[in-house]
Amino acid sequence: MLSPERRPSMAERRPSFFNSTGPNANPLIVPHLAGIEDPLPETTPEKVDVLIVGSGMVESVLAAALSWQGSTVLHIDKNDYYGDTSATLTVDQIKRWVDQINNGSIPFYENAKLYVSTLIGSGKYASKDFGIDLSPKILFTKSDLLSILVKSRVHQYLEFQSLSNFHTYENDSFEKLTNTKQEIFADQKLPLMTKRNLMKFIKFVLNWDKEPEIWKPYANRSMAEFLVEKFRLEKPQVFELLFSIGLCYNIDTKVPEALQRIRRYLSSFDVYGPFPVLYSKYGGAGELSQGFCRSAAVGGATYKLNEKLVSYNPTTNVALFSDGSKVNVVEKVIMSPTQISEDSKNVPKQPYQIHRLTCIVEKDCSTWFSEGESAAIVVFPPGSLKSGNKQVVQAFILGSGSECCPSGTCIWYLSTTEQGVRAELDLDAALEAMELSIIRETSTDIGDDEDIVQFGSNGQTLINSVKLGKSFKEYVPREKLQFLFKLYYTQRTSTPPFEVVDPTLFNVNKDTEKFDPEASDNGVLYTSMPSAEISYDEVVTAAKVLYEKIVGSDDDFFDIDFEDEDDLPGSSQDYENAIEDDDEDMGIDKSESAEFVGEMEI
Amino acid sequence: MHGTKRKQWSKEALNRKRLNDVKKIKDYRKLVDKVLTLKESQVYDLKSLKSTTELLEINPEFNTAWNFRRDIIDNIRNELDSEFWDNELKFTMKTLKRFPKVYWIWNHRVWVLSHHVDSSIKIWQKELFIVNQMLELDSRNYHGWHYRRIVIQNMERLGNKSLNHQEFQYTTEKINQNISNFSAWHQRVQLISMMFDHDEIANKLDLLKDELDYITNAMFTGADDQAVWDYICWFIEYDNVFKTLELKEYTKMLNDLQTNIVMINDDDKDFSGKENPWCLKVLILIENLQCKRGIKKSDDVLKSKEWLAKLIEVDPLRANRYRYLLDSQYHE
Repeated sequence: MLSPERRPSMAERRPSFFNSTGPNANPLIVPHLAGIEDPLPETTPEKVDVLIVGSGMVESVLAAALSWQGSTVLHIDKNDYYGDTSATLTVDQIKRWVDQINNGSIPFYENAKLYVSTLIGSGKYASKDFGIDLSPKILFTKSDLLSILVKSRVHQYLEFQSLSNFHTYENDSFEKLTNTKQEIFADQKLPLMTKRNLMKFIKFVLNWDKEPEIWKPYANRSMAEFLVEKFRLEKPQVFELLFSIGLCYNIDTKVPEALQRIRRYLSSFDVYGPFPVLYSKYGGAGELSQGFCRSAAVGGATYKLNEKLVSYNPTTNVALFSDGSKVNVVEKVIMSPTQISEDSKNVPKQPYQIHRLTCIVEKDCSTWFSEGESAAIVVFPPGSLKSGNKQVVQAFILGSGSECCPSGTCIWYLSTTEQGVRAELDLDAALEAMELSIIRETSTDIGDDEDIVQFGSNGQTLINSVKLGKSFKEYVPREKLQFLFKLYYTQRTSTPPFEVVDPTLFNVNKDTEKFDPEASDNGVLYTSMPSAEISYDEVVTAAKVLYEKIVGSDDDFFDIDFEDEDDLPGSSQDYENAIEDDDEDMGIDKSESAEFVGEMEI
Repeated sequence: MHGTKRKQWSKEALNRKRLNDVKKIKDYRKLVDKVLTLKESQVYDLKSLKSTTELLEINPEFNTAWNFRRDIIDNIRNELDSEFWDNELKFTMKTLKRFPKVYWIWNHRVWVLSHHVDSSIKIWQKELFIVNQMLELDSRNYHGWHYRRIVIQNMERLGNKSLNHQEFQYTTEKINQNISNFSAWHQRVQLISMMFDHDEIANKLDLLKDELDYITNAMFTGADDQAVWDYICWFIEYDNVFKTLELKEYTKMLNDLQTNIVMINDDDKDFSGKENPWCLKVLILIENLQCKRGIKKSDDVLKSKEWLAKLIEVDPLRANRYRYLLDSQYHE
């Protein structure tokens, strides 16, 4: 039945913290999920409002939203694991997944190539020591998904860590971002006028939608032109803003999109601390989607794995499964394109490619992380690689502190929106650059060069980067990096790089005359495949669009009010505070008791 | 209170709360009466001390209770050991954490520190560490800064040496963290003045040159920040600056500042169509100083008239003040 080799689930791991403080503290109980802690149901309900096929991010958020709204939901997945396109898998599970891609049983994934070192499995490491994301993601602290995680309390099943380090690859080295006022002020290398220009831009971008007079004249031009002409910024700052802060894919990014993305980073900074982004431990999107499934189960949804939808008849409303069972679906059938059966004729085209390269290296990589953290982002801007890349390559690095890999190892997730053959060349070039960098940064061969580290007049340490660059260039690495795992694959998607999901994608053909009698999927609403986007940005929008198609409006999307027994004066409900507040004094006031305002008596 | 969602209470919950409160109010009133009676009868012992503790934990703003507490401690001084004083410090710290802006708690803490049986420089050093932590949490809390000055004063008294240079470094740190920190800039003014007055500066010229670089950096990074401009105004008018630099260097300093400020102002005009009122005000001040020091003669072409006219446009709230200045100082 279920793969015996799976990793411990979120309910099985001991929670490393208890819920809340005070007299009402009780240990957190993560609800069980069928197919993991609980057995799979033998039978499924005869009639449901909504059938959801595939347990990826969008589908799972939707399942939870619908369950809490009161709809009856049957949520199935043909795999023996949860997560679908967003799953977090062990090495053995990846092996099987790659085989399935190569024999055609996973639609819209292609060109999968896998190398696994013998050290995994028979030697030093076990397959389930590793949790590999099929769709690696980072969570911005100011984002709709984070608000929903808090509202639905799914965040209680998860553990998050901060990610502060964003590196840009330039001239053979990894520069860390300077984007806060403090860093700009303290930066000895920036010319004064550049500092002023940067500050002007930062001030503008935080409220850009309220100042159309400044950007509207550039609305159809590229962001690079806007930054150079209006703000007189130069290439290093432009590249940093566009590619490392904005996480854009190429130099032609249009102004409104870029402004939105840059603001996303800057306004996320300082919500919880001096960092813009969180990542989830034990697995990224795989853990989050599973968390929403658990929430949906509490809300009444039924779960079944190893269940494949064979066909759906929109006239009789009957859905037929591979084990012969049926269900009557009153409202809608929602399906991920990866779960289709033969005779599916209505799947939307997925013309765009996302190329990914996932590696596990036997190296600590902590020089790339900020203190106390275990992850970093590296961005390779256009033209920075030996391959002459036209599109950005983005790399997301996870160390063992993320609990996704054992101590002394690290997972590198590289991806690009480049299409076709060039993509692999770009990914390889980026990989080589990272390899070279991590070897020399952790090597002890450079030695003490007093000229490299200097001390400024107020005691600050300054690194003479010119000297440092020189010694790197003369450096010949003696050791080679040991790769434990290397996986290439191409995923197809209908979202063009840079846009949000097109709502017309979901126009279900209701006209029965246009139904193809041969098709098994008439009347099915397809979800979108994950896009190249490294953040979770598209997920909630996509879920909301579907929700509206089913329920009629998205007003009550996750409009949940959990009634607690201890809703009395004295209990602290801190969760709601985190999102609303941006007061400077938060640190001190948090310890005071909450203020209550009663209703006025007439 | 900042940052907490207001809750709408249902009628029953509200009634329940009211019932709870009635009892609390009754208990509180009883406690107040008890403490005041003890005070009137001048009962100075550990039991009355305990009653004041109970009262102050609920309401630390009841200054009479603090006064009574100090009277008690004074009277039973000889029975108290250093552990008592340490506990007293812990008590103030506990209440401060809950109410960081109540003057009376800060006062009491200073009193305890000064009267502590082991009053030595060590306690004050520990205190400095605590103040640092509080200023990390909220670097603009003026209670914190005021308290810091008291702590430093005591340390200087007991250690018999000036801590001005170290404090100067501290303000640099704080401003680096947040250019808008008025308290830090203000402290900087105090410290530089003290260092000059007590002749604590080894190389005055270097200090001032570094300071000029620092404020130029601040001007470019934070051209809209009042804290920065206020400081610059103080700096260029400070008589020790003129004395140390002497006319030639002073003239150069004013010229350089003028050039930079004009650059910033032109850039603002270019970008948003509006000139920067701070730039204009400081330019006028610079010209005044140039006239005062004889760098500019009275029959030189003065641009202040022009700048004042621009200010009337850009800062209409204060238009009358600018008109008054125009008329009184620059009439034909």
